[in-house]
Amino acid sequence: MKSIEIDERGGSVAIPIPRADWQSENERFRIGVRARSFVPSFPRTNDADSMTNHQALPKPNAEVLRKMDDEALITTFQSGDLDVYRYLVERYQERIRNLLFSIFRDRDFIDDLAQEVFIKAYQALPHFRFEASFYTWLYRIAVNKSRDELRKKKTRRFFSFQTLDEGIEKELNVRLSVQPENRDTQELVAMGLKTLPEKFRTAVVLKDIEGLSYEEIAEVMQCELGTVKSRISRARAMLRKALKPLMEEV
Amino acid sequence: MKKMNEQKLDALLSQYVDGVLSEQEAQQVESLLAVDTSAKQKVVELKNLKRLLALQPKLNPDIGFWTRFSVAMEEQKEEEHNLLPFPRKFIPAITVMATAIVVIIGTLVIQNRIQLKQFLSTKSQAVREVYEKNILQGSLLPLFSKVDKEHALQFSLFGTLPLDDKSETAFRVDEQSEKGYRIEVGNNLKNKTKSVTFDRFIAEVKPSAHQKKIIDSLLELTGRRIESSVLIGENNTLAIAPDLPKLNRLMVTNIASCLEPLQRVSFERLLEANNAPYKVTVKSVQTGKAGNYVQNIPKFPQGDRFVIITPDTMMYSQIHIDFDSLKRQMEENFAVVGVRRAAMLKKIIAREFQRVPKNMHFPMTNQIFGGEEFFSVEINAPGEEDNQQQMRVVVQPRFRKQIFTPGMPNHSTQMRIWKDTASSDITP
Repeated sequence: MKSIEIDERGGSVAIPIPRADWQSENERFRIGVRARSFVPSFPRTNDADSMTNHQALPKPNAEVLRKMDDEALITTFQSGDLDVYRYLVERYQERIRNLLFSIFRDRDFIDDLAQEVFIKAYQALPHFRFEASFYTWLYRIAVNKSRDELRKKKTRRFFSFQTLDEGIEKELNVRLSVQPENRDTQELVAMGLKTLPEKFRTAVVLKDIEGLSYEEIAEVMQCELGTVKSRISRARAMLRKALKPLMEEV
Repeated sequence: MKKMNEQKLDALLSQYVDGVLSEQEAQQVESLLAVDTSAKQKVVELKNLKRLLALQPKLNPDIGFWTRFSVAMEEQKEEEHNLLPFPRKFIPAITVMATAIVVIIGTLVIQNRIQLKQFLSTKSQAVREVYEKNILQGSLLPLFSKVDKEHALQFSLFGTLPLDDKSETAFRVDEQSEKGYRIEVGNNLKNKTKSVTFDRFIAEVKPSAHQKKIIDSLLELTGRRIESSVLIGENNTLAIAPDLPKLNRLMVTNIASCLEPLQRVSFERLLEANNAPYKVTVKSVQTGKAGNYVQNIPKFPQGDRFVIITPDTMMYSQIHIDFDSLKRQMEENFAVVGVRRAAMLKKIIAREFQRVPKNMHFPMTNQIFGGEEFFSVEINAPGEEDNQQQMRVVVQPRFRKQIFTPGMPNHSTQMRIWKDTASSDITP
């Protein structure tokens, strides 16, 4: 239960931050509510009046903020200090980029998609209720975004009369038929992943590349634990079948 | 079934490789692997696959991600605040296109300005003509646009209403219980129309505050009813609700009903002194609740039936009129309508009615008289007495020495002594 103290001197709202590594047990750090942000008025905070208060206490330096845990940063963000979002982005940008890269394998495309994921998270963060960990919540946004994007691609393929999946499978078979020393194993695995349907591909990527637990994957993909196990098992079976020559050699 | 078992085995082996099976399940799998080489091969492949997937290349850290992300956020914000129906990046192109379109249209307009001017002039003239013919000239208008309390009282007591400020022209209804009723419109009626002001009525009758309130309401209703009962139209047309003459008698009855016996005597004296067409014959009935005596006055003519009088004929027809919108139109165009109504009225009065109407569809026998200064329509339909008989305060037509229209061609027909007034109450 968090208590809110009113600083009578300046009239600012000070919110006690949960104890973090950089705090001692008795130390209390007051975060002033500031009006300015790097994108003013873009998110909707709960207390609009407090945003106009300029007599806030000094803000912690970047190093301290960088060491704050996710929950503390989100609490600070929700209190009105929107600048701290930068540290959340910096903390998770590579994981999100790599997740999207594992799903799409398209370097030119994933940066734009990652930006969209963080913009979506930025807009939704004021309503974050700490019911899940931030990174699973962020992964969920990324997975939903990638699912939407795959659907769009599928629609575009339908209207352009392309059969991309069949093309990948054929190309994969051709590449697997060459001499083992001339194969690029990583590229073949990537191509094998691309042949999987979206829900199987995402599940196996989250498990074997991102290293999430079954429970975390269920949270990210918003499905039952049994479904996750089934999807991962089937995805692996499909991959083994697609990459059979490679499996035998390895 | 075999497929199902294979799928289950795959799932079990997959979880075994991940190390998430319980100790008992893991032991079962290991015992299976000891005897089943294909299962053992699957486990090997699964481990290889996991290793290959884990070795998938990672992207190099992007140190410029935050900078680009900030820019994207700003653009997103600007896009949200962009009220234009297209992205901002199209502003230059759309500006150029809009300018080009304006220049082209401007050039065309300048080149064809004479033709355009003529075209617009023709169109506006056509619109004006349509408006004047159909909206102003061709529609019916109420002859009385604002009947105030004084005029409503005058109509209630005498059945007359002035048509102009100087009372040089007047409208009059006259119920004749034996022959029907007459509607007259004419000039130089100043001397023939009696007038009793509301103040004089109050001074003579001395109603209480409650009675005065009832009479005020009755007069207001009468005013509204008159406004919607007499309409004037283009081509010397007059439309009159045939039950309007009964309103005169109804109002005298209503006023008498809400008075005390002594006040009723005063009221009758006032009527007698001014030679009003009706008299109160029973004065001693005690006044009860007003609702028991006062008859409702319909706001609009019953059944939308009107007597239509044109220069050539007279007919009895149903006209559907939205009086509320008509009144609004009157109020919005009061000056224009007033001038037009005066001109129309002048035309109607000036015409001669010397012929018997040929229209045989009229349900009642009737006759139109007239001269240069007036016209009179006599509708021979005896009034219904049912309502009046139910009234405890009886109002009857009064014998009158003077006739309303001295210029009538047959004077003998205008001098009448009504049978129902031939009683001891008749004032000779």
